[in-house]
Amino acid sequence: MSEKITLYHLDTLIGFVGDDPEAIKNMVRIFMQTTPELLETINECFKLRYSEKLYKAAHSIKPTLDVFGIDKLYATIRKIEQKSRDGELDSEMITLINELNTVLEDVFKALRDKYL
Amino acid sequence: MDAFRIFIVEDDLLYGEMLRHHLALNPDNEIYLYRNGEECLKNMYREPKMVSLDYSLPDMSGLDIMRRIKKDYPEIPVIIVSGQEDISTAVTLLREGAYDYFVKDDDVKDRLWNVIKKIRENLQLRSEISYLKEEIGRKYEFRNAIKGNSPAIKEIFSLIEKSIKTNISVSITGETGTGKELVAKAIHYNSKRAKKPFVAINVSAIPKELIESEMFGHEKGSFTGAITRKIGKFEQAQGGTIFLDEVAEMDLSMQTKLLRVVQERELNRVGGNDLIKIDVRLIVATNLNLTEEVKKGNFREDLYYRLLGLPIELPPLRYRGNDIILLAKHFVDEFCQENKMKKLSITESAQQKLMQYSFPGNVRELRAIIELAAVLTDSDKIDHSHISFNAVDTVENLLMEENTLTEYTRKIISFYLQKHNNNVLLVAKKLDIGKSTIYRMIKEKQIVI
Repeated sequence: MSEKITLYHLDTLIGFVGDDPEAIKNMVRIFMQTTPELLETINECFKLRYSEKLYKAAHSIKPTLDVFGIDKLYATIRKIEQKSRDGELDSEMITLINELNTVLEDVFKALRDKYL
Repeated sequence: MDAFRIFIVEDDLLYGEMLRHHLALNPDNEIYLYRNGEECLKNMYREPKMVSLDYSLPDMSGLDIMRRIKKDYPEIPVIIVSGQEDISTAVTLLREGAYDYFVKDDDVKDRLWNVIKKIRENLQLRSEISYLKEEIGRKYEFRNAIKGNSPAIKEIFSLIEKSIKTNISVSITGETGTGKELVAKAIHYNSKRAKKPFVAINVSAIPKELIESEMFGHEKGSFTGAITRKIGKFEQAQGGTIFLDEVAEMDLSMQTKLLRVVQERELNRVGGNDLIKIDVRLIVATNLNLTEEVKKGNFREDLYYRLLGLPIELPPLRYRGNDIILLAKHFVDEFCQENKMKKLSITESAQQKLMQYSFPGNVRELRAIIELAAVLTDSDKIDHSHISFNAVDTVENLLMEENTLTEYTRKIISFYLQKHNNNVLLVAKKLDIGKSTIYRMIKEKQIVI
């Protein structure tokens, strides 16, 4: 039976800042402030076929997703990073970016409900 | 210890804040977070103890920032934190002087802790080394290290002062125990090279077949027994001073090799092909007369002129008059302090006994005599009965030389002149000879004053 992948977990974040509710809340606030901007950039760049700028945004968002334990997107964001670096803005990229949007929307909601 | 100031340069606000929070868990750390390279460079005047630098910043690359930091602050360790593993970039950065290269993954925090621990330990060691170097510098401040008020030793002070202003080679001559190595150290630790190494080699103590490898090093496998690469004394002394004691004992083939190194300022390790540039100051010493050794064909004339530089001839203790008492008092104080003994004084009769002795072993012998006397006395005084001389009769030694009467006369008059500060009238009176005899010998250069 395959193990169910959780939407997010904060193990890595707690590893960095400790089990300090205020610090965690602060980091969630920063995440909620910076990640939608990067997601917006990724969407815009895909529409405008700016592969280099898309690559930079994907590269920047990657460590953040790791820190918030969004394991569902572990492979997705790396694939987006690699394909944008190679200039492959194809139909597979549409699927990948859609997945990124969908999962992150769920994560934003869950974090907002719990921490903000 | 002062706060350990860390710069985090990170455009990813979340990652930067997270690192800041993480590293601030240690209250000794003082964290500054900058979002781009320009901000970091503007604040470098704060002299952080370490910089954690994101490789991809919006305004310039991590490599460019690191180069600019290294240009002005080469000592500050820069750690590159990158979003992805890229071996060739990592190699380039490490070659350019990065302290370490991390990828932003779960391990980054542990690696940062480890690296900070390592840097702190290094800084601690560096500050200890610098303190010890200053201590050595103070110890060898030459007016502290070399005691004496006699005209003969004042002349030596003046020569040392001249020698420390430049990089000129120095050749020190003098009888055994006159303090040749002490003078060499005093020159080094008072010169601009003081913070670099002082490396001494006693040429006579190293077997002939090993001396080249000892001085210039060797490559692995260059001869039987060369199981690893060895860095020679010249390379160890890079930027500092090398002191070749008993240089006259060096055999002719090694002299040829030394001449090449001194002339070219570069060397080959034994068995090596690479030429290594050398920046060392050379100080040599001998208790033989090098001019005589050149005449006898035992020492290369070209090397002699290369090494001669500023000659410093250390006077024998017997020519230093009242310095004998001054040094004796210094040695007794030092001995009592080192051995946690009560302060001892030296009686008039003991002082008189010391003044009448010729000290063939010079200052080294005086120290040994005084230390023994300090052990022998049961009171707070060193008396003449505690002073014992081990040397065989010096008059007998003098006669053993089997010189001509003229030569003995010359030696006796020279000895008196040096002892009495070249006072011809006084010496003539003491020896009960005419002053014109002395003047004639000076004029004929039989005696040099």
